[in-house]
Amino acid sequence: MDARQAHPITLSFDRGTLLLRGPGRFRQPPGPDVWVWDDRVGAWRTDAIRYARVKQALREPSAGTLVDEVPAPPPVHWPKVDGHVLRAEQEEALAAWLGAGGRGQVVMPTGTGKTEVALAAMARTGTATLVVAPVRDLMYQWHRRILRGLGYDAGVLGDTLYNVQPVTVTTYDSACIHMARLGDRFGLVIFDEEHHLPGPARREAALMSTAAMRLGLTATPERSDGRHADLEDLIGPVVYRLALEKVRGKTLAEFEVVRIPVALSDSEQGAYDGYSRQVRHFVSERRKEQPGYTWQDLCAESGRDPAARLAMKAYRLKCAIEDRAAEKLRVLEDLFRLHVGQPTIVFAGSNAMAMEVSRRFLVPTILSHTPKKERLAVLEGFAQGRFPVLVANRVLDEGVDVPAAKVAVVIGGQASTRQAQQRLGRVLRKTGQARAVLYEVVCLDTHEIERSRQRRRSDAYERTRHRRV
Amino acid sequence: MLTSEHAIVEFEGGRARPDRLLQGPHGHYVEYARRMLAIYRDGLGRRRRDLHHDVVAVFADEADCPPRRIAAFCKLLDDAAEFQGDRRGQASPLRLRVFAQAAPLHPLVGERDKLFEHAEDEVKQAIATEMGMPWPAIDEALYADVPAYQRLESFEGYPDAQAMLSRYNVAQVQACLYRAEAMTVEAAEDFQTLLRHAKLARLLHRITPAGPSRYRIELSGPASVLRATRGYGVNFARFLPALLACKGWRMSATIRTPWKGTARLTLSEADGLRSHLPPASEFDSGVEEAFAARFGPRQEGWQLIREGEVLHAGQTVFIPDFLFRHDDGTEVSLEIVGFWTPEYLAAKRHTLELFASRRLLLALPERSVRPGASPGENVILYKTALKLAPVLEALERLRAESRP
Repeated sequence: MDARQAHPITLSFDRGTLLLRGPGRFRQPPGPDVWVWDDRVGAWRTDAIRYARVKQALREPSAGTLVDEVPAPPPVHWPKVDGHVLRAEQEEALAAWLGAGGRGQVVMPTGTGKTEVALAAMARTGTATLVVAPVRDLMYQWHRRILRGLGYDAGVLGDTLYNVQPVTVTTYDSACIHMARLGDRFGLVIFDEEHHLPGPARREAALMSTAAMRLGLTATPERSDGRHADLEDLIGPVVYRLALEKVRGKTLAEFEVVRIPVALSDSEQGAYDGYSRQVRHFVSERRKEQPGYTWQDLCAESGRDPAARLAMKAYRLKCAIEDRAAEKLRVLEDLFRLHVGQPTIVFAGSNAMAMEVSRRFLVPTILSHTPKKERLAVLEGFAQGRFPVLVANRVLDEGVDVPAAKVAVVIGGQASTRQAQQRLGRVLRKTGQARAVLYEVVCLDTHEIERSRQRRRSDAYERTRHRRV
Repeated sequence: MLTSEHAIVEFEGGRARPDRLLQGPHGHYVEYARRMLAIYRDGLGRRRRDLHHDVVAVFADEADCPPRRIAAFCKLLDDAAEFQGDRRGQASPLRLRVFAQAAPLHPLVGERDKLFEHAEDEVKQAIATEMGMPWPAIDEALYADVPAYQRLESFEGYPDAQAMLSRYNVAQVQACLYRAEAMTVEAAEDFQTLLRHAKLARLLHRITPAGPSRYRIELSGPASVLRATRGYGVNFARFLPALLACKGWRMSATIRTPWKGTARLTLSEADGLRSHLPPASEFDSGVEEAFAARFGPRQEGWQLIREGEVLHAGQTVFIPDFLFRHDDGTEVSLEIVGFWTPEYLAAKRHTLELFASRRLLLALPERSVRPGASPGENVILYKTALKLAPVLEALERLRAESRP
């Protein structure tokens, strides 16, 4: 008997990594140079993400007998695949991804049907699949879409649920926590809104999985920290990119941005100015001694220095006045009157403001703690026109399908470029000929004006029409 | 435990210093802690946000208190409390019902006119009448499930104000460890407890000697050999209370700073952080304890050290109960089996085979051995208590054998 056969090498999955054991401490393993000797356990170790590559090299006859203990992902039979025909660009995206061996990123603007591309990829590959979404609303949305599109009741991992099935939906946070245990169960991992993945903790979700096939979806892969470059290693290369210009007016509606300045009431303005003076005074005093004194310094000092702490508190109170200015509710009433009969989404800057709007107008909210059943009822009720208005805090910023909204009102919240773009995406879905409108209700003589200007300068607002009321 | 949003860590000169309340400069915090505990103890039935509001107010005149510290106190208080959620799940259906009733009347206007005839107050009054409940009650119940509005149901609290403050200090070290990449513990005793809890926290170890009866234990996770990762920070944090309950240790951890550098967090028994866990129990069984008492610290040139040697092969660790060190340098270990089952004995035999090359004595209860079986030469049988004479005799025999 061949000595190598008598002493096979074994490949196994160990909490998000691969272990390679052989007779004694055998020489450098064949194949890619990714193995590290782990003297704690007396075996070679590498990240689970390398599975497909190392497996191929270890299969070579010269490598000796391999016992692969990593389980093969089970095939999945979809109860029913709906015969939905993909649009040309969706078909192209799917073909590009399959052509790249099922490893790569698809970049398409919001509202162009990334989910349909992913469902088609799942239908084609028929393997155990994990879908990772940024927030639980999106996670539940994926659950619904998989049920509707493929007839499969997927497991849910996250939001205090732990139900793992061959096809499972989860969030990035839950994936990081559980991937060490579940990393060897899936053949395909779909990263929705993949720009969330490259963070130092969240990338572990990709590193700890043995899945050979990976699909990343996003409208905006770029990150301000430059880490999007890592997506190529964590998921695969960009295999398809659809520019926003190509779809505007086709699948996306024309849109218009209207800014509505509101004045603070006298008492609000008085308090606001008082707090502003307090902050300004503090900073200018500090700058006399430290010319380069910044907001960061203030934050750092607020722990030790009571004066800095008071300045910080004044700043927070100032923001709260902006956020919850009484006048905003009156403007909202005017907008509701103006757009009666048109589905309207209101984006609030805080939970408190969202609930205030809800209690004033008796309209439903989607907040981070809204129970699953209620979310569903509210989203469906809104889609079917049973609820005229939907109030959300930041939960709906990204990806959650809100069908047929033609009017959006932003009444608070500091927005980054991506947030603005995602928000626009919510009202951009093509529904008939009506033009979509995004209102920004901002307080006069406050910081909100400045933030609105910043938003306007961002790419998302380029070539949109602006109107002042 | 706190979350990383509560962590207060100062990074200076390559060191990480978690926030710590000290008896001297923070002596007056004992009074604050007393007041905070009183707010919760007297606050049954109150809303979470109101309790937090009162806790914030305790520090109104305190110059030396960052907002994060107050938030951390709130978290520790909440951790020791039960809140009445909306357990019967009434808020959610109530909302849907109220909003569905109001939907066809949208928009509810402040003052009605020709175009819009549904005034806010009239609609609310109509809904209230229909539901047989005054509007203010409905308004309050509408969002009763939101955490901030939940009401305090019971409060277990902390034994006293000091206990709460020491829990705070430990919790800040734990929150700092969320950013840890690796941890090294140097210890001279309590290895059993240390390694068992490291295993419970799902950490891997690497053990190296660091002097007579001193060992260095490097703790990390599986992927740590591949790259520096913060993925095991929670495991380190979970391990900390067990470490604090031990004796004679020094700990050093590599912490990733927010600006992508690293800093060192060091801690030892001398820092006086108190664990809420009971101290590591000294003896596994009464037989051991009685034997240690009978032997005393020294006997005929042999020094007795509890858990003085750590035998390890990979992730298998065996720590014999006692190490005898003779004045001439000879070392012999003794493992006493008190409580036993057949499976336990089989596992023990396997471990002993793994470390067969060591000078090792095994004390077994007579009942555990089949009558007539030969127990082997390094095995000492005992009836109810392990006597000194047979042990000393075996020690001397092994010492004679070890001489060239």
